Amino acid sequence: MDLGLSPRQEMFRDMVRDFAEKEVAPRAAAVDAEARFPAQTIRMMGELGLMGVAIPEEYGGAGGDMICYVIAIEEISRACASTGVIMSINNSMVCDLIHKFGDERQKRRFLIPLARGEQLGCFCLSEPDAGSDSGNLRVTATAEGDHFVLNGVKNFITNGREADIAIVFATVDRQLKHKGISALVVEKGTPGFQVLKEENKLGIRGSSTCQLLFEQCRVPRENLLGEIGEGFRIAMVSLDGGRIGIAAQAVGIARAALEASLQYARGRVQFGRPIAAFQAIQFLLADMAIRIDAARLLTYRAASLRDGGVPCTRESSMAKLSASEAAMWVTTKAIQIYGGYGYITDYPVERHFRDAKVTEIYEGTSEIQRLVIAGHLLG
Amino acid sequence: MRIVVCVKQIIDPELPASQFRIDASSNRQRPNGHPLVISPYDENALEVALRLKEKAGGTVAVVSAGEPSAISALRKGLAMGADEAALISDPALDGSDAFGLAAALARGIQKLGIPDLVLCGCESGDWADRTVGPILAEALNIPCVSFVAQVDGEDGRLRMRRVVEEGYEVWEGAPPLLLTILSHESNIPRYPKVKDIMTASRRSIPTWSAADLGVEAGDIGKAAIRTEVQQLTLPSRESRCELMDGEPAQQVTTLITKLRERKAI
Repeated sequence: MDLGLSPRQEMFRDMVRDFAEKEVAPRAAAVDAEARFPAQTIRMMGELGLMGVAIPEEYGGAGGDMICYVIAIEEISRACASTGVIMSINNSMVCDLIHKFGDERQKRRFLIPLARGEQLGCFCLSEPDAGSDSGNLRVTATAEGDHFVLNGVKNFITNGREADIAIVFATVDRQLKHKGISALVVEKGTPGFQVLKEENKLGIRGSSTCQLLFEQCRVPRENLLGEIGEGFRIAMVSLDGGRIGIAAQAVGIARAALEASLQYARGRVQFGRPIAAFQAIQFLLADMAIRIDAARLLTYRAASLRDGGVPCTRESSMAKLSASEAAMWVTTKAIQIYGGYGYITDYPVERHFRDAKVTEIYEGTSEIQRLVIAGHLLG
Repeated sequence: MRIVVCVKQIIDPELPASQFRIDASSNRQRPNGHPLVISPYDENALEVALRLKEKAGGTVAVVSAGEPSAISALRKGLAMGADEAALISDPALDGSDAFGLAAALARGIQKLGIPDLVLCGCESGDWADRTVGPILAEALNIPCVSFVAQVDGEDGRLRMRRVVEEGYEVWEGAPPLLLTILSHESNIPRYPKVKDIMTASRRSIPTWSAADLGVEAGDIGKAAIRTEVQQLTLPSRESRCELMDGEPAQQVTTLITKLRERKAI
């Protein structure tokens, strides 16, 4: 059993780390404070191939694998969690979905610019009354000739403001529950599609989170992904990949908090000694490191299974749950190590703490992850 | 134009000094799982080569003399855009000084085919000897221009901006030449693209031994050293706080005087 990275993956990691440290991290505090979309960084990431890491080259991607993808998300999120989630949604919730379920025309038309980073995508599943209960959608898709007409509101859509392409899940018949859900590609500028509201958030403030309105929005039937009624399955398969991405994001945030804590603990002197000399601090640092490593290993396992085409719903949920709770715990303790300095915005750990919280919520709350895992255990 | 860039793999010089360990018996850094990188100025040299190729065509090869692990440095060179790579690695090279390394590199470069231009970083990020480039030029019997920050090519001639203490000099010359390269805003190393990393990882890179290159045993390794490191120590850093007395104007005057005394300004 080899738990190490291959030379190719190491070279990839070194490139992303170098890029993240030089280009992403220096902007992270401002991106957060000003709730500013990091457009220049995202453009550079597109040029490097980071917006479609695991997509084959023939569809505009970089030809990497899921392990490369989680390496990249961790490194970018370590520098800036907002940039990490923007990248994660585009890679695993949009590009991967079109690659898996789109037909050749859809791949040529939508996937190539998305994977190249020339366009940005968003994934529209949640609604005001359908969060964890994602089978209970109210956005309707009514067939009219060679079009579907969308009506309704989508909620908490990451990249909603900037996205050129939206994957929208809507029901063709509410009576059918989740079996009526279908997935459609909607292009920015389609009449009847607009951003209704942008949320002001606790963390990941550089990424937009929007309420989107669809009002008599006519979408060509040729933009249907898969079959009518296949949308719920498509969403669930995509969420497996998405959850691995969020797990990697959480590992990156936690690692940033641990590294900041190590640096601070070595330099902060109290009672005539660096606080790193006190066991109370050492025990915290050790526990932080263990939780991060355990979460990363679960994340790599889930990514490896997905690379092998093996179903990994349970493993994805385990990785996401473990990593998000590790991130919340680690960032909380990081603030504790910093003391009062951890509570002010001059130091980065309060940002890591705020960024970590959402990883326990989006792409399935911790409670949903536990339900998924327990469901697999109980059969 | 055919360009060869010499790259050296070193322990990441960005690591804090506290993480370095010295092996007193060999007067060398003790590798301890530290991340290994291409020596920074060598990356600047590679960037210069890639830009010259993009402007005027030609090929770029990267070559390294070192441990087998240096294959990853060469692979990164390929991912950045080099067309060809070769590693010179042989236990017989252990303990070589700049003369031994230059002798091996010269043979390796000759095996690749004599290029129009050889580029080296102006110094390595570990030993900072600044000697391999000029010695290599001597071994190849081509002119050397050192400390070059900018290079432009036109009509088969090169125009080089060479940094000197009080400013810069502009040199012109026709290939073949060896240049040692400084960092400059015009040669900030590019990030390799993901797809190029994937492609580079599949390329095979030849490893040449001293025998493959016909390097004489007496020209490399400990037997050939002309310089010897007597002692290697970690820099010790002392910090001391000194408060300036008096009114602000007096404090500033005192501060300036003290900084001048220490030749800080």
